[in-house]
Amino acid sequence: MRAPLSWLREYVRVDATAHEIARRLNVSTLEVDRVIDIGVADVGDNLSYLRVGKVVEAAKHPNADKLQLCQLDVGEGELRQIVCGAWNFGVGATVAVGLPGVLLPGFPAPLDERPLRGELSRGMILAEDEIGLGSDHDGIMLLPGGIEPGSPLSDVLPVCEQVLDCTTTMNRVDLLSMVGLAREVATLCNGQLLPIDVEDPAIVRPGQVDVSIDDPEGCPRYIARVLEGVSVGPSPMWLRARLHAAGMRSISNVVDITNYVMHVYGSPLHAFDRTKLDGGGILVRRAADGEELTTLDGTVRKLDERDLLITDGTKAVALGAIMGGLDSEISDTTTEILLEAANFEPIGILQTSERLGLRTEGSNRWEKGVDPHMAEPAAVLASRLLVDLAGAELTGAADVHSGLPERAVVRLRPERTNRIVGLDVDSEEQRSILERLGFEVNGDWDVTVPTWRARDVTREIDLVEEVARVVLDRVPHTMPLRRLVAGHLTREQRHRRLVEDVLVGSGFSEAYTWSLVAADPDRNALRLADPMSGDQAILRTTLLDGLIAAARENVDAGNDGIALFELARVYLPSGEALPEERWRVGGIVAGGFSEARSAVEAIYDALHLELRPARTTVPHLHPGKAAATTAGWLGGLHPALLDGSWAVFELDLLELTAPIPERVLYDDVITFPPLRQDIAVVVAEEVEAAALVDTILEAGAPELRAANVFDVYHGDQVGAGRKSVAIHLSFQVPDRTLSDADAAVVRDRVIALLAERFDAELRG
Amino acid sequence: MDADALEREGLAAAAAASSANAIEVVRVEYLGRKSALKQALREVRDRETGMALNAARERLEGAIDARESELARAELDARLTTESVDVTLPVGGFSRGKLHLITQIRREVEDVFLGLGYSVVDGREVETIHYNFDALNFPAGHPARSPLATLFVDETTVLRTETSPSQVRTMEVQEPPVYIVSLGRTYRRDTPDATHSPIFHQVEGLAVDEGITLADLTGTLDFLLRKLFGEKRRTEFRTHYFPFTEPSIEAYVSCHVCDGDGCPVCRHSGWIEVGGAGMVDPAVFAAVGYDPERYSGFAFGWGLERIAMLRHEFPDLRELWRNDLRFSRQF
Ligand SMILES: [Zn+2]
Repeated sequence: MRAPLSWLREYVRVDATAHEIARRLNVSTLEVDRVIDIGVADVGDNLSYLRVGKVVEAAKHPNADKLQLCQLDVGEGELRQIVCGAWNFGVGATVAVGLPGVLLPGFPAPLDERPLRGELSRGMILAEDEIGLGSDHDGIMLLPGGIEPGSPLSDVLPVCEQVLDCTTTMNRVDLLSMVGLAREVATLCNGQLLPIDVEDPAIVRPGQVDVSIDDPEGCPRYIARVLEGVSVGPSPMWLRARLHAAGMRSISNVVDITNYVMHVYGSPLHAFDRTKLDGGGILVRRAADGEELTTLDGTVRKLDERDLLITDGTKAVALGAIMGGLDSEISDTTTEILLEAANFEPIGILQTSERLGLRTEGSNRWEKGVDPHMAEPAAVLASRLLVDLAGAELTGAADVHSGLPERAVVRLRPERTNRIVGLDVDSEEQRSILERLGFEVNGDWDVTVPTWRARDVTREIDLVEEVARVVLDRVPHTMPLRRLVAGHLTREQRHRRLVEDVLVGSGFSEAYTWSLVAADPDRNALRLADPMSGDQAILRTTLLDGLIAAARENVDAGNDGIALFELARVYLPSGEALPEERWRVGGIVAGGFSEARSAVEAIYDALHLELRPARTTVPHLHPGKAAATTAGWLGGLHPALLDGSWAVFELDLLELTAPIPERVLYDDVITFPPLRQDIAVVVAEEVEAAALVDTILEAGAPELRAANVFDVYHGDQVGAGRKSVAIHLSFQVPDRTLSDADAAVVRDRVIALLAERFDAELRG
Repeated sequence: MDADALEREGLAAAAAASSANAIEVVRVEYLGRKSALKQALREVRDRETGMALNAARERLEGAIDARESELARAELDARLTTESVDVTLPVGGFSRGKLHLITQIRREVEDVFLGLGYSVVDGREVETIHYNFDALNFPAGHPARSPLATLFVDETTVLRTETSPSQVRTMEVQEPPVYIVSLGRTYRRDTPDATHSPIFHQVEGLAVDEGITLADLTGTLDFLLRKLFGEKRRTEFRTHYFPFTEPSIEAYVSCHVCDGDGCPVCRHSGWIEVGGAGMVDPAVFAAVGYDPERYSGFAFGWGLERIAMLRHEFPDLRELWRNDLRFSRQF
């Protein structure tokens, strides 16, 4: 919504500058994106070079067929000669003149006197685009007669204008109007709201206007006015200038008037060529399934029962509240119009406009809920302007509704405002703020809500907001006074941070990958009803695909040392409506099985857990390098999934952290130091290290505290299909230091059980 | 035997010794079992001579010890000079990674609020429309309820469009006082471009207690913004509209690049819009059974990507999802 300041000042008397107004509005009302300066720059005496002139003589230039040589009265006593290229005027025309020295928008330097084809031109007769009043350059501007030649042009036309470019929130459709903005400016800047005084034209030859509403919910009010003797033509300069400044294109006086009035009151209007309406009346109803209408933009719209139609009783003539029909559009030959000033229900309009992908200035307002009371002043102002500017006569009027909503009354406790805001706002100030905004407040603080705020002010808290926003820049900065303070991270949250930190310390960088994927190994994974694209259709149940893509991105970028992890959610189908959201940590790193194991071991170790991987088979892992743990899997990535050698892992945080002990208990391994020995045993190739260690610990308990494999040897000395495994043994008991003799006994037990289970031979 | 002469001779020899070996030879010659001094001491008969000889021995011993440590130190210094390395030469180093920038900011925000006594709540990302819209007072017909704005799993299930459902879930199971923040992924049907992503991150804050005011909200956000953008920042709050708060405000921070003078980062306004906030709407309290006469509260919900982009001045938020190490290693 663009609000030209000269137009706004017609409704509010205020001293503040455009930037001061913008600043107050920004804090308390809506966002003013910027203040746009249009027209001629008001610097130095620049505006004094713009005058009203009267053409006294006009003849063809002696040396150029396309130019006129004119003599103008610009109030200087003597005439001024100006060469002009336009032909849309003659002797007696009142025009806008720029004198030498004026700096016009878009011109690099001030205008100077110069000869044109041998005749001196001492100024310029102006077209509207040359002073930023419009976009028309077909001819010069023609001003109404009767203005004294030499008058400053700025007295007659808004030659320099500042425009507030506003964006309002969806609850404040009343601010999509000049009167709504004026009310805010008056409240915030100590201004005086000026009434709009318009006399409704009299009905000259009363005729019948048939209006009926089949769907009073969709259309609670319909005012129709019939105007005859209309002469469609261009709008006067002031109207063209205002619409231009407000960002609207001038079309014809009739259409311009409906747009102008919409801008004033925020209640959109539409004008039909009444001769195109069968019977000249209106029936508002829902569309029939499959019914068609060609809208103003020339598009054939296929409709159904959800769409609201304006019809003439036999055929559709407009898509209610959104766009008029092409057939009944105002044309140059229109002489009789039916003016619609109605009210429409928002949600149906929103749905139709979304479904058809058709948004207009009108639908933008209706979908937010326009005050039905506004239809009447809009109809009156539009009628007045049609009579004054298009020579029309009002010949009929109808206003159909089944009762307009009463104004709501809401009780406010002024002390409640202060308790919510945290600032003492005197109750008289609260009363004054509300009254300036159009609320009525009685002695008991029963507040009557103005009709244009009926939708968003229904409760005491809404009145509190009205006060709060006006005093917002006075609200102090305090902190809550706490009686109870209990801020902490949960155990799960601390564990997640720890896992992230361990991986970062191990050289992994954190990746963020999409929760939505193209395909997922779980056939039951949740699928979006209407995904944005096939690549983002399914809620993932594993992090792996995202990490592979992230690794590939880095390979393509030529990065080295690629090691990535992600700690994020997966969405496991639960059989219920909502999936089970589980935290997972996954990683991918250039390298082999040992890189995956190192990373996973670092995580387990930091969490006081023992990693016990077991051989497994997983489709995405190298079949010989795949291991399962208590919480997930790790291994070499199957080479079919990404070129090169990559290690990957994924662990479920819930399963990973469940066995973490609440407390870690002290184990005295210091008072009586351990006795250490190494052994080497020869076993069959397929015997896994973990099986050997488990058996050693079983046989050696309780004196044997630890057994760790430190070397595996293959070769001639041990024979084909066999391997030698070297193991550190550590003997320790809590109450004494063990001797070699003690250890020898334990060692014999160990070797005996290894021999029994694995056919192991002691080596060396 | 001339004790004085012997002493003078020994002191001179110690001073002349130029290595650890040489000083050891001096020690044996003047203080060893066969030295003239030791022999004289063995043969001494009168107390006066004995005292004089002992004093000479002590002085000589002290001088030799001092010279010995002086020489040892000089030898160590000489050796260390030969061991010097080029300290400017790069080394292999331990491999190290980086937390994602959003995780870093997430932790900063969490830590600010942990310090203020808030707890961190993990919401859920797939939500019912009850928690995502109804309980948050979204009116029928609000554009966010449309499938044009929101990703639906089915008619009653959506990917959360903001972190606010976590407010409702927390209040349902906990009586006031409630002081929480909740950070995580949120989803909207936005076509990815430099400033939009269908998946993004929000921080949600909620405080409900007796006597919570709008001033407490602006004070809390002022504190947070200065922690995130620098202590010298100023803040401003402007009125706004959200279904779940009343009054609603939008927080602005003075531009950290130009300090308010105007620059491209703040689009020449001097202020940067950070995000929305407000006093919890009584309708939200009604949905969870809190008494709005007894309790009041504030809430805010901000995008973390926006904070990251503003603070670190990168132009395209898609970098945050590309996972290019040349990006992540900078932060
Ligand atoms: Zn700036």
